[in-house]
Amino acid sequence: MLRRILIANRGEIALRIVRAARALGIESVLAASAADRDSMAAREADRTLVIGPAPARASYLDARLIVHAAKVGGCDGLHPGYGFLSERQSLARLCAEEGIIFVGPSADAIAAVGDKLAARRLAQSAGVPMVPGSGRLDSAQEAIAFAGEVGFPVVTKASAGGGGRGMVVARNAADLATGFERAAAEAREVFGDGTLYVEKYVERARHVEVQVMGDGTGNIVHFGERDCSLQRRYQKMVEEAPAIILPDETRGRLHQAAVDLLAAISYRNAGTVEFLYDVDADAFYFMEVNARIQVEHPVSEMITGTDLIQLQLRVAAGDALPIDQRDVTVRGHAIEARILAEDPGRNFAPSPGRLTRWRPPQGPGIRLDTAMEEGVVIPPFYDSMIAKLIVHATDRQQAVALLLDALERFEVAGVATNIDLLRALATHPDFIANRLDTRWLETVLLPGYGQR
Amino acid sequence: MTDVTPQDIEALVGIFDSSGWDELRVVIDGLELYLSKNPDDRGGLHAAAARAAGPAASGDAGSRVREPVREPTGEAPAPALDIPAGLVAIRAPNLGTFYRSPKPGAPPYVALGEAILAETEICLIEVMKLFTPVRAGIAGRVRRILAEDSQLVEFDQPLFLIEPAG
Repeated sequence: MLRRILIANRGEIALRIVRAARALGIESVLAASAADRDSMAAREADRTLVIGPAPARASYLDARLIVHAAKVGGCDGLHPGYGFLSERQSLARLCAEEGIIFVGPSADAIAAVGDKLAARRLAQSAGVPMVPGSGRLDSAQEAIAFAGEVGFPVVTKASAGGGGRGMVVARNAADLATGFERAAAEAREVFGDGTLYVEKYVERARHVEVQVMGDGTGNIVHFGERDCSLQRRYQKMVEEAPAIILPDETRGRLHQAAVDLLAAISYRNAGTVEFLYDVDADAFYFMEVNARIQVEHPVSEMITGTDLIQLQLRVAAGDALPIDQRDVTVRGHAIEARILAEDPGRNFAPSPGRLTRWRPPQGPGIRLDTAMEEGVVIPPFYDSMIAKLIVHATDRQQAVALLLDALERFEVAGVATNIDLLRALATHPDFIANRLDTRWLETVLLPGYGQR
Repeated sequence: MTDVTPQDIEALVGIFDSSGWDELRVVIDGLELYLSKNPDDRGGLHAAAARAAGPAASGDAGSRVREPVREPTGEAPAPALDIPAGLVAIRAPNLGTFYRSPKPGAPPYVALGEAILAETEICLIEVMKLFTPVRAGIAGRVRRILAEDSQLVEFDQPLFLIEPAG
């Protein structure tokens, strides 16, 4: 078991990790930027080390600074949370060199799944279905030739990363010619690597993903799947578990595909295998692996009654998984809504500032993961997510009703948020009837919301 | 200022190691050293955060002992220190290990009372064996040295107090 971990993150996930560690008798040292020295996570951690100034580049994104803090803080483990350095091979490697246990996969496993082209090769060899896609392409001409084989529309993707960067949908050769250059430039700017590949584009798709945990011995347990189709600019806004759109037989094959893929590399840590589900064809295709705990992990925790962060800490220390697949049973339906300090009325402009009122809803089936409290200032330097509202009920219909009830009782003032937009979402007939796809939020909800 | 050197600490650890003692706490000026042979000992970590200086060493299995680590000086180290009127603080540019000398055994970059220029190198901050010199950024005279040699300093922590020239 780990004795003391450094937490190299901030906000709700840092607090979540502090508490999970405490529950296991593990001490926590928080590596915080100057902007976060008085945060809730800083107060609850056993110790806080201010590692650098507010900008993430000089604090949360500096691997050497973080590992140095872990060493001088006497830590034997390091939890990276999500975002920031959580999927950087360099951090995993630096930890290994310094004898600090990285609460994540091995550096080699990060390499095997982190690069998308490498991940596709891995999926292929594990027999996991994939959207027809090219290898790396050096020019728009090559992309157009590939699109000619599989048919338009197609989408460009950056080999080095995700989050919608480097992605352009093209419906004809002229679109693809201009889109390819634009996507390559963006990928170069964001990831420092302009390498692209192209995939066939599924028009009516759902984003489904399987939550897994591996202990590094080839033993992989899954915790069911999530439906994360509600996205804006490829950023998830609402996530659910289970994905009730899936027929049972398809669901079983989906779980197996995720387990097979990560068993092939004896994966250790929490991981998510993301798939595109083609509703019309009842077919799923591998998208990518996220080799970290994800923002939306709570919905899986709610339906399976598992603490995934605690499990992560245990397998990192070398414990075998304390459960097997038969111990995981899915109960009810959970929905998570991300509360963002963004103004939907101003094209989702970030809205930092002081929270003059913060009265989140409470009650049975309601969970709030946050590090916010009334009176605090939301700093302008980081992600705008300020809370995750999670509801759990016996079925989707009741979960939707509970979500709406919770959103209506959520009182926030001082900063603009997306709460009103989420209320509009929770009352929309398409959402209630689960008639959704990955573009629904942008093409149906947002235009309608803007016209009110 | 304490005159305790790393060699002194090494000697103390050696004595402790070969002794029959379970724990040892030494306080000299601003330096506090806590050694323990109990692997479950948390070294006062919880209590220490509120103190100006405290131990963070907890014994691993056996008798491996870590060097003491300077605790943060409270929630907001910068404002917690009363900077006397007429003096200006030089602060740590990031977390790291503070060194007063360019290399072990060498004389310190600056001594108490010494006149410095803005470009004078006054200390080193080490991060993962990368040693970065810190420049004064202000001309004047060194009136106080606030950080201990080879100790952890956090971002923005005052290291020196300077009486500006002129």
